[in-house]
This record gives sequence, C-alpha cells and structure tokens, in this order.
Amino acid sequence: MFKKILIANRGEIACRVIRTARRMGIGTVAVYSEADKGARHVELADEAVLIGPPPSAQSYLVIDRIVQACRDTGAEAVHPGYGFLSENAAFCAALEKEGIAFIGPKTHAIQAMGDKIASKKLALAARVNTIPGHNSAIGSPDEAVAIARGIGYPVMIKASAGGGGKGLRVAWNDTECHEGFASCRNEARNAFGDDRVFIEKFVEEPRHIEIQVLGDAHGNVVYLNERECSIQRRHQKVIEEAPSPFLDDATRRAMGEQAVQLARAVQYQSAGTVEFVVGKDKSFYFLEMNTRLQVEHPVTEAITGLDLVELMIRVAAGERLPLTQEDVQRNGWAIECRINAEDPFRNFLPSSGRLVKFIPPPEVPGQVRVDTGVYEGGEVSMYYDSMIAKLVCHGATRDQAIARMRAALNAFVIRGVASNIAFQAALMQHPRFVSGDFNTGFIAEEFPKGFHPSALVHDDPLLLAAVAALARRRYIARAVQTTGQLRGHRRQVGHDWVVTVGRQKFALRLTPVEGGCTIDYEGESHALRSDWRLGELIFRGTWNGEPVCLQIQRVGWRYRVIHWGTQADVEVLTARAAQLLSLMPDKPKPDLSRFLLSPMPGLLAELCVQAGQEVKAGEKLAVIEAMKMENVLRAEADGVVKEVRAAQGDSLAVDQAILEFR
Amino acid sequence: MQNIIRELEQKRAAARLGGGQARIDAQHAKGKLAARERIEVLLDPGSFEEWDMFVEHRCHDFGMADQKIPGDGVVTGYGTINGRLVFVYSQDFTVFGGALSEAHAEKICKIMDHAIKVGAPVIGLNDSGGARIQEGVASLGGYAEVFQRNVMASGVIPQVSVIMGPCAGGAVYSPAMTDFIFMVKDSSYMFVTGPEVVKTVTHEEVTAEDLGGAVTHATRSGVADLAFENDVESMLMVRALFSYLPSSNQEKPPLVPTDDPADRLDHSLDTLVPDSPNQPYDIKELIYKVVDEGAFFELAPDFARNIVIGFARMDGSTVGIVANQPLVLAGCLDIKSSIKAARFVRFCDAFNIPLVTFVDVPGFMPGTAQEYGGIIKHGAKLLYAYAECTVPKVTVITRKAYGGAYDVMSSKHLRGDVNFAWPSAEIAVMGPKGAVEIIFRRDIGDPAKIAERTEEYRKKFANPFIAGHRGYIDDVIMPHETRKRICRSLAMLREKKVENPWRKHSNIPL
Repeated sequence: MFKKILIANRGEIACRVIRTARRMGIGTVAVYSEADKGARHVELADEAVLIGPPPSAQSYLVIDRIVQACRDTGAEAVHPGYGFLSENAAFCAALEKEGIAFIGPKTHAIQAMGDKIASKKLALAARVNTIPGHNSAIGSPDEAVAIARGIGYPVMIKASAGGGGKGLRVAWNDTECHEGFASCRNEARNAFGDDRVFIEKFVEEPRHIEIQVLGDAHGNVVYLNERECSIQRRHQKVIEEAPSPFLDDATRRAMGEQAVQLARAVQYQSAGTVEFVVGKDKSFYFLEMNTRLQVEHPVTEAITGLDLVELMIRVAAGERLPLTQEDVQRNGWAIECRINAEDPFRNFLPSSGRLVKFIPPPEVPGQVRVDTGVYEGGEVSMYYDSMIAKLVCHGATRDQAIARMRAALNAFVIRGVASNIAFQAALMQHPRFVSGDFNTGFIAEEFPKGFHPSALVHDDPLLLAAVAALARRRYIARAVQTTGQLRGHRRQVGHDWVVTVGRQKFALRLTPVEGGCTIDYEGESHALRSDWRLGELIFRGTWNGEPVCLQIQRVGWRYRVIHWGTQADVEVLTARAAQLLSLMPDKPKPDLSRFLLSPMPGLLAELCVQAGQEVKAGEKLAVIEAMKMENVLRAEADGVVKEVRAAQGDSLAVDQAILEFR
Repeated sequence: MQNIIRELEQKRAAARLGGGQARIDAQHAKGKLAARERIEVLLDPGSFEEWDMFVEHRCHDFGMADQKIPGDGVVTGYGTINGRLVFVYSQDFTVFGGALSEAHAEKICKIMDHAIKVGAPVIGLNDSGGARIQEGVASLGGYAEVFQRNVMASGVIPQVSVIMGPCAGGAVYSPAMTDFIFMVKDSSYMFVTGPEVVKTVTHEEVTAEDLGGAVTHATRSGVADLAFENDVESMLMVRALFSYLPSSNQEKPPLVPTDDPADRLDHSLDTLVPDSPNQPYDIKELIYKVVDEGAFFELAPDFARNIVIGFARMDGSTVGIVANQPLVLAGCLDIKSSIKAARFVRFCDAFNIPLVTFVDVPGFMPGTAQEYGGIIKHGAKLLYAYAECTVPKVTVITRKAYGGAYDVMSSKHLRGDVNFAWPSAEIAVMGPKGAVEIIFRRDIGDPAKIAERTEEYRKKFANPFIAGHRGYIDDVIMPHETRKRICRSLAMLREKKVENPWRKHSNIPL
C-alpha cells in the first residue's frame, strides 16, 4: 500500500479523498493555488504545496507543477478527484514516466473513452446499446424517410453544425420526416452555412441514468448499481439519487451488464461511470463513459456501504477487488443535493465572497452526510466551481430519504454568499420529484421563467407564526428582567397576539408552558416546544409532537424565519398595535437606485457596464480606487443602464453620478 | 358623587378625542397615528399616567377665547417601557395643528422638570405646525422655556425626539438639543426655513421632503439618527433603543440577563482581515459576532458610513460601539464621521456607557473639501471626546492604525483602559510605501530599492509588536477570542473611577 498520496484537486473532493486516506493510514499531500491558501483541504492534509496563481490553467491544470510536487514530497500516487486533470491522458503518462501511480484507470482506457466517436464504436463492438442513427450526411428527403423507417419513429433530424435548439426537428411519421428534413437543411444552410443533416433515434422523456463500475488489475469488474441524475439545470446536475425510481430489476441488470462489458473492453481498472439515456419505454442507450470518480459517488456509497475512494486506492496499488457482483448491496435510498454558491432568485448568478456564516446540518452516520471544502469565515472564490457542499441523505425508503433531506436543508445555514438551498428545498417538495415522475427536462418545464420566491408556499404558515411568537414572548420575558423596574408598574404581558406572515394574519393566544408554549388558534390548540435561546440562528423543537427545525433571526422589530425554503419576515404585535399598524400606508419601495453615485472621491478604476445593459441586483457595476483601496460598487436592484456619465480613469467627486438607470 | 364621577368620565372621554374624530380620521388618512395612539404603542400596555388632560390655553385674542380644547395640543405624562420609567410628551396635530401655546409649553416643561428631578428619560413625539401665532410672544417664550430645559437635562437624563409630522422654524431646536432624533419617512420634515422661503430668498426650488424629509436628514445632513417607515415601526424601535439607555447620569446602564456566554469564541474572525492590506472587509461582521446574541442597534447607518456607531450589550451590559468601516472610504476619518462619532462618544461618557472601539483607520481624508470644511476643528472633536471621557474604554486594533488617526481612536495615550491589537494590526505613522518615499527620498528613482525598503519597513512597523514593546498595546490577541477578552476587560473596569479636574465646563472645538 502507498505510504503517501497527493490529491491533485481542491474543494470538497480533495477533503473527501483526504478523509479516506487518513482512515487508511496513508499520508496526504494537498496542492493549492494562491486563492486557496486558507482553504480547508490545505488545512486537512498532512502537507501542502503551492502550485501557482488562482486561475486553474496556471495551477490545478499544470501537469509539471503537480508532478514536481509529487517529487518534492515523495508522494507515491496521485488521486485526481474529478474535473481538472482527472481524465487527462497526458497527465497519466507524465506520472507513469516518473513511476508515480495514478489512482484511476490506465491511460488507454481514458483515451479510448475520451473520444466521443471512438467510444461509441467501442461500445457498439462491446454489444452496448447505442442510439440508433445514421452517421453520415443524408442527401434527400426520401433517403431521410428510409433511414427513419429503419431506425423507427420518433426520430430526431439534426444539423451537423446545429446547436442551441437551432437546426433540430423531431419527426413522428414519414410526412413529418419529409418536411423536417427539408426545413432543417434550409435552416442549417442559412444559419450555419453547413447543410449536412443527420438522423438519430429520438428518445422520449429521456432520463439520465448512469451505472457505477469498478474494476481491478486482475480482470475483475463489477457494477455498483445505478444513479439517477435527471434533475439537471442547463445540463448541470442538481440532484442525484440511487437507486433510480424508474428502473426495474431487469433493466438494472441489463444496463449493469452492458456497462461491465464496456469496462472489460477497455480493461478498466478503477471506478468509472457509464452514462445512459433512458427513454420512457425503458429503452436505454449508451452516452459516454466517465473515467473518474463522479461528484455524485456518495449516493452509491450510501446504498452499497462501500468507500469508492478506498477501493480506487486499493485497486491502484494492485489489490484485488474485495467483492464479487453477488456481494454488491443495494440498501435503502440515497439522495444528494448539490449546494452551490449561486443566487437562485437572480437567475442562478454565481456568488462569491466571504462565508459569514456556514453551519451545515450535523452529520448522522447512515442518515446525513455532508461533503464540503469550505468553512465559516472562508472564502468562496470566483475562480472555481460554485459547488461548495454536497448534502447526502440516506433512508430505508425514498420517502424517508426525501424527508431527511428536507429536514437537513432546514438546518443548513449559509450567510454572506447566496446559495441554492431554497431552490433545493423547492425541488424536494415538488410533487413530480416526490413521485419520481420526471426526466431531464424537469427543471426547464417546471421553472420555465426561472425560480421565484412565489414558487415557494409554506404549507403550514401557522408554524412560522407560532415560532416567531414564541421568540417574541421569550424576548419580552427576558426584557422584564432588566434592572431598574418601576414598582407598581410590573409589565403585564398579554396572551393575545396578532402575527403577520406575508399577507396572512393570525390572531393567536400564546400560553407559556414548561419548555415551550401552547398556541391556540381558531379553536385548535397546538403545542410548540423548544429549548431555543435568544440570538440562536437555529430553532429546533417539536410542533404538535413532530420535530421541527427552522432558522430565525431578529431583523429590527421583525423575525426573519426560514423553513422549507421559504423566508418570511414575521411581525408579532399586540392586537392593538396590529390594529394601529393596519392604519399605516403601504409604501412602495422608494427608487433610490436611479443613479449610481460615487460614494467617495477617487479614481474610476473600472466601469463594468454600458448604456442599455441590463443589470441584476448585486452585479458589479464599477470599481473606485480611493486611498489605494478598491471599492466595488454593486447594483442595488435589477435595472437597465440608461446612460453612462463617467469614463474609466475619471477622477470622481463625492456623489458624482457614474450611471443613470432607466 | 355619582354625577360628579360621571361628569369626570365624560370630560375625560372628550379630552381623549383631542380635536375630534374627524381630525383623527384626517390624521390617519395622512398615514399618521393620533397622539395617544402613538403613546399606546410606545409604552407598556396600560402603563401610561396622563397629566394635565384638562389644561387649556389662556388666549383671548383672535377669537381664541371660544376655541378651547382640553389638553391644548399635547399629551403628557409618564409610563414604562419594559417596566422602566419614562416621561413622554406627544404633540396632538388634531388640536390647533399641534401648535405650541404657552400652556402647551408649560405641560412639556412640567414633565421635563419631573424627569430631571427623578432621573428618568424624556421622549418627545413631535407633530406640530409651529408656534401658536395668536399668542404671539407668549408662544415664543414657551419654546425658549422648553429649550432651556433641554439644555439643563442634557447629560443628566437621556432625551429622545421622534419627528412624526411637521417640525419647522424655531421648533427644530428642541429636538436638535436632545440626544437622538428619529424621523418617519414621508410624513415628517424638519427645517429652519421651508421650501417657500427658500424659493423667495435663494430661488432654489425644493420639495419639503427633499429639503428636510427623513431620508434627507438620515443620509445627507446627519440630523436624524434613524428614519423609519411608519409611526408604529418608529415607536417599536424607540422601545428597542430605550432598552440600552440608563435612566440618568447617576446610574449605570441597565443589565439584561443573557444566555450568550461571555467566553464564546468565534473562529471565523481569524479570517476576517484579508491578506491584502488594500482589500476592504465589513467591520459590522466583527461587531455582530462579538456582541451579545448578535444584537447591535446601529445609529446613523446611512450617514458618514465610514464610521459605525451604535449600542450593543456585552455580558448583559450596554456598551457603545465605535468602529471604522473599511468598506467605505477605506474607513478613513473625515468631517462627517468625526462629528458623528464624537457626539456618540460624549453621549456614552455622559451616561456611564463603556466604549468599545474597533480600529482600522488609514488616516484622515485628504483634500480641499475637507480642509476648507474645517477638518482640523471637526477632527479635533473626536480626539477631544475620547480624551475627555472617563467611562471604561476598550480598544481593539484590527488592522491599520496610522498617523494621527491612531491617536484619535481611543489610543492608550488618550487614557484608553485596555488596548488590544489583532496580529494583523499595523500601527505606524503611515503606510509602509508612503513612509519609505519620505525616509528614502533620494532612492525614489530606484523602484527596486524602494520595494526593498518598503518590505523592510513593513516587516518592522506593519505589526502590533513595536507598539506592544512600549506598552501602548496591552496584549496582542487572537481574533477568535475578541469577545472573551473584551467581556473580561469590561468586567474588570466595571468600578472604574476617574475624574477630570474641576472646571465650569470644558471648551470642545465646536
């Protein structure tokens, strides 16, 4: 076994590999760029080597630097994680030359699978289903119809140079094929100046389902069940699960066996993934093989009880697989949510900066697992991927896994940078997701205009009201313990409150009891119990006996409560104060953002927008250099730039207009 | 007897209606609450003891003799906020437009006199068209009586003003002399001369809102400490502010039990200060993370944002926080920020509220605007305030403490009691580059040499240890233990006694 390995990666996957290596008693070497000086993987590893400036092209992707780091530290093997150099044959070759083991497949397997056309040919030869199609340009509509009949309808007619939905037709019969071919060819000629057109099978309601395979140097290959990754946003996986809610045993076995055949065909010796597209009739076709550890491997680990990183290391060290196909388990259900630093309400704009708060839900063996590469007070860098954590929940059934995921999302606190937690929470409670009835078009179909807070409606707003009311009651109970109370004026605390959640008003009665309170509302009594204390961000307790976990924060005189992805600023008032508040006018938010004014005298170092440009709230507009400090000015609201009133390099006075918004 | 009691009840009911239901409705239509409704939200339910409900004016001119409304346009009395005594007056716009008569002024003076006598704060809710013109000089005299009491009460009891309607001309000077001014957006304004006079005299066209609205005063003039959306929010937030204030200068600030451990560590603070000295960070994160329960009542958040001031609690006891804000103007001191912080420091000193100062200041703001504006005198205010004050002073230098600004910001030399520095602190006369360009002027043409010297200077001075050698810094602390160290220091300083030499009064550079 290796004594020391180097992890040629960053973020959560580097931390995850280090975790296993440490358990196996193997020394670890981290590599890092200048932007990652304070990163968690650097902290966790036994040794760390600086390999270059922040851009990955100058650090994590520079083969020589990493090979040199191995030489310098005496690392005997390299785990590449995913992304970066994980599927780079030149990297493998460079390591091989140095006698350093690559914890992954052999160079020839990477090469064979790295080429789309070559891999399809190999798959065909290995008797793996590939999408039926005609791979050379078609000359006439009649030829197109003949080919389409051979493949079987529906078919997809696509332009060779097509993309972005252009030059694409679906035909369900001869007539449509005839017409589709002609119009597709015209469109392709006009749009791309290339009228070559192909035809292939159109897979209806396609799902993305992949098979995890694992091979060793002794010719053993097993498949470790499937993962369903159909919940995607713009081809980026958002949620993955294992097993798939769609597959039956026969299909699973058929897919698994084909995946193994393909792996054998390239003498695959490591963990790898064979991706399939699966139609609504359960027909499945090979897409590609990923010759690396996948982001979503933890769901497979959860249901199989295996540590894929450990097995990769053992196999790379020449050990035999410790299990046969019969030994492979499939216990319960596991779901993974990717937690990204992006703002789902602003079209998923990536968010970077300081993690002012980062409190993941507590890990529970066999139930909740959190893989992350960041920490509270750390920095989310703009140079790298926006995924900052993976939340994996495991249960005996899919429903239990979903319930655990929803509870875990409630307890995940991220402040300082935006996160997609609210979006994940919305997906976790979406009826189509819960029923398992979805395909790769799910997010585009269900959220065609993006994600809006209106998509989130809390099913029990009384809970939000009750939690805020209890917080308010505890605040008052404490306030009357302030020193200097006036005799004879002891504050009378009433029981009746009017609590406003959004537009909904709850006139409720709160009676404190040991460890919580009783909430009476519209003739029904509810029990809220919690040991929550003032100032705590997380409110754990029980609501009518059921465990609940919410996030709560006092903002001015309101309570901001976050639960099931919804966020509400809750008002708790006496009946009289609520009545008086209702006399107050509803004011539209004043538009103070029509001008961007320079907050200081300084040099306009950078102007990032131009007239006519649309900007989103939070977007960088300009950088002002003053007192040798860079001050970034950001848009306070969405808008359109009407006019630019200053130029880069201008010296600005205080309150000088830089931009005017429309 | 029964009849008399019934008569009293009738009189009270009539007095409570002020100018009548129609005028109360008109007040509501303007988005404002009536005088007594405001008090209902401000004080603990049922705690209000009203005085002088039956006071009437004594004016006979211009037909006023037949126009008498009990209370005469102001509701006065006392009550409690979370059980603590407070005196209140609330001007009633429904009665003669809240205009101030001699009798109206007497009512205000009466509660102010009592407040000073018993040592309890006064909260004034201002909603008045101005002087009762029919009364002439008697009304002006009334104003001056109130002004005089504002001054006598200043530094003795906390005084809070909330502007909830018009407040123009001479009337502005009563709130101006109180400790805090809050305003309500869209329904209040404050100016010495209104838009019409401005137009006649200077030909400037300006709306009342732009000239003296809540947003104007909270962002441009700094007259208002906070601007709120409506009357109810204003009253609730005054309650929150009140919880931090002692009742008088004879008392220590109130103690509130807390579950937040005084020795709580926060490791995320170890990474708060960025590696690059030119990169800003939000000093408010530090404040929120060290104070009790993350609760910080910030004052003047939209004015002179390069300095942050406000109240918080540490281990249950009120502290005043002053902090340079690197996010704005690099945190440097200028005219507005000096004035803002100086007044706050003096308030805390007057009312026995310990000061916690977080320092990251690259110096004073250069420029003609500053010099012509009198930064010398205005900057001196903050220096003066810190030097004069005798309450416990705990200072934490997080990064830059350069030049004169280092001295100003609650330094050891200005009787700072406990002065801490983070390891990232740089205490020096100026930044390394500037210093080297002066000391090694002849090498300016040689960038390599300058870079080398700069590095040398940085190594030597860009750290807290030089100051530490001299005892100007009591200890270099880990950022994560900041709360614990401040709480311990404040506990140690609780019974601190320092007296300034006797004098009639000092002469702060106004």
